[in-house]
Amino acid sequence: MHLQFPGPWSPLLGRLTLNAIPYTNPILQGTFVGAAVIALLVVGSVLYFKKVGYFWREWLTSVDHKKIGVMYIVIGLVMLFRGFVDGLMMRTQQVMANGPHASGVLGSMHGFLPPYHFDQVYSAHGTIMILFAATPILTGFQNIVVPLQIGARDMAFPYMNALSLWLTTAGAVLVMISLFVGDFSAAGWVGLIPLTELPYSPGVGVDYWMWAIQISSIGTTLNAINMIVTIVKMRAPGMTWFRLPIFSWTTLSTNIIGLTAFPVLGVALALLGADRYLGTHFFTAGMGGNLMLYTNLFWIWGHPEVYFLILPVFGILSEVVPTFCEKPLFGYVTMVAATFAIAGVSWLVWLHHFFTMGAGPDINGFFSIATMLVGIPTGVKVFNWAFTMYRARITYTVPMMWAMFGLFLLLAGGLTGMMLAIPAVNYTVHDSVFVIAHFHCMVLLVVAAAFAGVTYWFPKLFGFKLSEAWGKVFFWLFSSGTVVVFAAMFALGFQGETRRLDWTYNTAWMPMLLVEEFGMLLYCLSLAAFAIMLVVSIRDRAKNRAGADPWGTSRTLEWLTPSPVPFYNFAMTPQVNTRDELAWRRKHGLENAKPDHYEAIHMPSNSGLPVIIGGLSAVWGFAMIWRIWWLAAISILAIIVCVIIRSFDKNEGYHLQPGEIEAMERDLATGMITSEQPDRSHNNAIHAEAH
Amino acid sequence: MRLKSYLALLPVLALGACSSGDYRLFHPANLIAAQEWHATIVDTVVMLLIILPVLFMIALFAWRYRKGANAAHDPEWSHNTLLELLVWGVPFLVVAALGIYSIKTIYAVEPYNPGLFQKQVAADPQSVVNVDVIATDWQWVFVYPDQKIATIDDLVVPKGSVVKLHLTSTSVSNDIYVPQLLPMIAVMPGMRTIDTFDTPDVGSYTGFGADFSGAGFSWMQFATKIVTPAQFQDWVQKVASSPNELSYAAFQKVAQPQVNMGAKISYFSNPDPQLFHKVIAAAQAGVVYPVSDALTKSIASDEK
Repeated sequence: MHLQFPGPWSPLLGRLTLNAIPYTNPILQGTFVGAAVIALLVVGSVLYFKKVGYFWREWLTSVDHKKIGVMYIVIGLVMLFRGFVDGLMMRTQQVMANGPHASGVLGSMHGFLPPYHFDQVYSAHGTIMILFAATPILTGFQNIVVPLQIGARDMAFPYMNALSLWLTTAGAVLVMISLFVGDFSAAGWVGLIPLTELPYSPGVGVDYWMWAIQISSIGTTLNAINMIVTIVKMRAPGMTWFRLPIFSWTTLSTNIIGLTAFPVLGVALALLGADRYLGTHFFTAGMGGNLMLYTNLFWIWGHPEVYFLILPVFGILSEVVPTFCEKPLFGYVTMVAATFAIAGVSWLVWLHHFFTMGAGPDINGFFSIATMLVGIPTGVKVFNWAFTMYRARITYTVPMMWAMFGLFLLLAGGLTGMMLAIPAVNYTVHDSVFVIAHFHCMVLLVVAAAFAGVTYWFPKLFGFKLSEAWGKVFFWLFSSGTVVVFAAMFALGFQGETRRLDWTYNTAWMPMLLVEEFGMLLYCLSLAAFAIMLVVSIRDRAKNRAGADPWGTSRTLEWLTPSPVPFYNFAMTPQVNTRDELAWRRKHGLENAKPDHYEAIHMPSNSGLPVIIGGLSAVWGFAMIWRIWWLAAISILAIIVCVIIRSFDKNEGYHLQPGEIEAMERDLATGMITSEQPDRSHNNAIHAEAH
Repeated sequence: MRLKSYLALLPVLALGACSSGDYRLFHPANLIAAQEWHATIVDTVVMLLIILPVLFMIALFAWRYRKGANAAHDPEWSHNTLLELLVWGVPFLVVAALGIYSIKTIYAVEPYNPGLFQKQVAADPQSVVNVDVIATDWQWVFVYPDQKIATIDDLVVPKGSVVKLHLTSTSVSNDIYVPQLLPMIAVMPGMRTIDTFDTPDVGSYTGFGADFSGAGFSWMQFATKIVTPAQFQDWVQKVASSPNELSYAAFQKVAQPQVNMGAKISYFSNPDPQLFHKVIAAAQAGVVYPVSDALTKSIASDEK
């Protein structure tokens, strides 16, 4: 059971000792104080305002797709902030540690971070941004918007939806714990092999990385199943496939990718875990192992993952652009075809992540062509958005500005992506920061669409609009920061700077490194603008009250519901007559039509089990990381017990009676908010209600 | 409006780039780098042929059809068969053209046996210089099997030759790269890759490991010099006179994890003739050079 790893091990605490807590590191001391203050403020105010019960009832145990979506996005934004701070540290280190004569502070030879710390920072940055920021934020939008867009009450499996959320959260919690207990991986977010094997990464860092991803990706896989079933089975009457809004189409395609790709990652990480815990040789260089097998498996997940992120982003753009153009999306059918073409090709391109592996020209040629093929449907999409703007009436609201900036990033990323798809070009920039700049064009397109989505759908959920003025300040600061940082990074790529350098030895890079740092300053300012935007918007919420359709030109079904959406979504399941249903109803003066009668609505009951299972998963991950076997055994047993309890749970939800619905709808009409469920104990559960 | 201001940035960057020697990729020093730089330009130009008009179109529509401009508004128009054929057709043609071009260039610069040099090598097999390259944690060992010498962090080759590097690693994966000269190729333990470059002119360059290999990675530079054949002979003599011999046992000491601050050069005579193969065989047999936790944590923070 015990492999050779350095340091002590005890049956009670495993590898955990007091030395694992980096209390001597001033950077982490500061971080800890900051995190502790924020945590105390949050917990303290919840206790002070006596909201513990409210949080437990309305949020932690909620199976409501909208609340789960909001929690996904909140977690994503918190992790986005963490990942940004990592990025800021990397940029600052590279400026400070430039040239052979750069001095060092805080015990580093150059800059302020010793290599081991810097390597953890960039590994955490990538892991967090892709898996714990972008993925939860986009999953959150899908959770919130898709059921509303297709006229459903909730997701197909509300309980599993909550479980997905809390498994993702468990992964994020493990990543955060690694800040203060032990180390994070120093082997890149991709898990560079065989650097992640025990002889080269003897600490717990790789284990943190591995288990955090493993646990959260189970959540993502479950969520993918849920999304697919919801879209296939739960569309409102009349919502034929070719009336399905584009965002729901992209959600369907992206979750087909998610369902098929994430298990590959799970297997790759499990085999790596076997190497590290059991002494097998799947991915070692020797003893019959094959390290390139890991690299292939990782990117067989990793490249579809890129489209897993980008397709919903295309969906968001396809919702925002027509709304503010006051026109239907140009080329709906080609848009759907392009979406599925991208999803299909996404499986055939993984090898372009390692053209320099030494594969022959035939193999590289195949993957070069396959990669370029992605450019065709992507080009179609850009053209379609452009033609949507033809003869439009464009309002430049904040979401529309983000969408326009997203288009610009897509073109910049596309131009450089086509360069990287040519092996002859790739050989000169493969591991340079040119590649970093390229894929940041793409992931910042994700961020731009995320902010477009946040501003666009915020009033739907909270009943008031975000401040347009501060939203614009935030937009301009963030987008100029992006252009400055990554234009300079492209330049550095042409200067021959490679990735992941904790010491930038070439003094010729200094000017562009400084430009990058200036861009980071703009990002920091944008962060302040974002915070002000939130505060101002909440302060002025009475002034910015939103009706069912706060933008006035929305086109899809989610805008038919009152804002904020009542927990039961639609009082009566809508009958869908056409594509862009709301635009059609508005044209025929039907958008405010009320149903003449109500029918009982079957609602799922809340459950505390998902959050408990999520918590136990985090404990189990922690125990595995530190090799505390007794704790791992207990927590996995407890999870199994929870699952058994759930399978004997006869509570199948409750019925909302027509009278109740009518009363709540009356309240809504007078401006009251009905997002909280009526209090129901288990006695009211469905079988008892049959009378 | 906004797009225009961003676009204005690009030419400024490009201008700054052309005028400065710092942009090393813009100044290829041999045939293979020139071919790769040429491919970069061709690809960019072809892509700009489609991207610039699209940007222009978006900017035009964004301005012309803004609310309040009283331009024509067609709230229903969303389909045009001819246009939709075009939006598939135009990207298809661009991809087809670039795809064919990509395949052609792959064979020209294929690292194992570039089409560019096949004639030269066939006409004058003597012009090939073989160097075995072994990446360790965290240095580069260059073994010249024909000259029976070896160096650490010093790659010296004669002008007018085709240099064939055979690469492997003792421990983890890396990537070798000399901007302007040598395209990147992966260096992996237990495996052998090949990278080829030509040496038309004398000059000095810096090469380095490009793929992260652990805590000492940033220090993995090596000097790369192209010298005249006569100077090369002198240099070989000088290295061959080194009292240090690189037996396999001596190599195992070199391969212990260590950071070579300032990429200090070392010379060895009489390397083990089977060294390269022994390193590969050892890695395949499971030999590792473990990096201790203490070393990764203390590197460069404790050492001076």
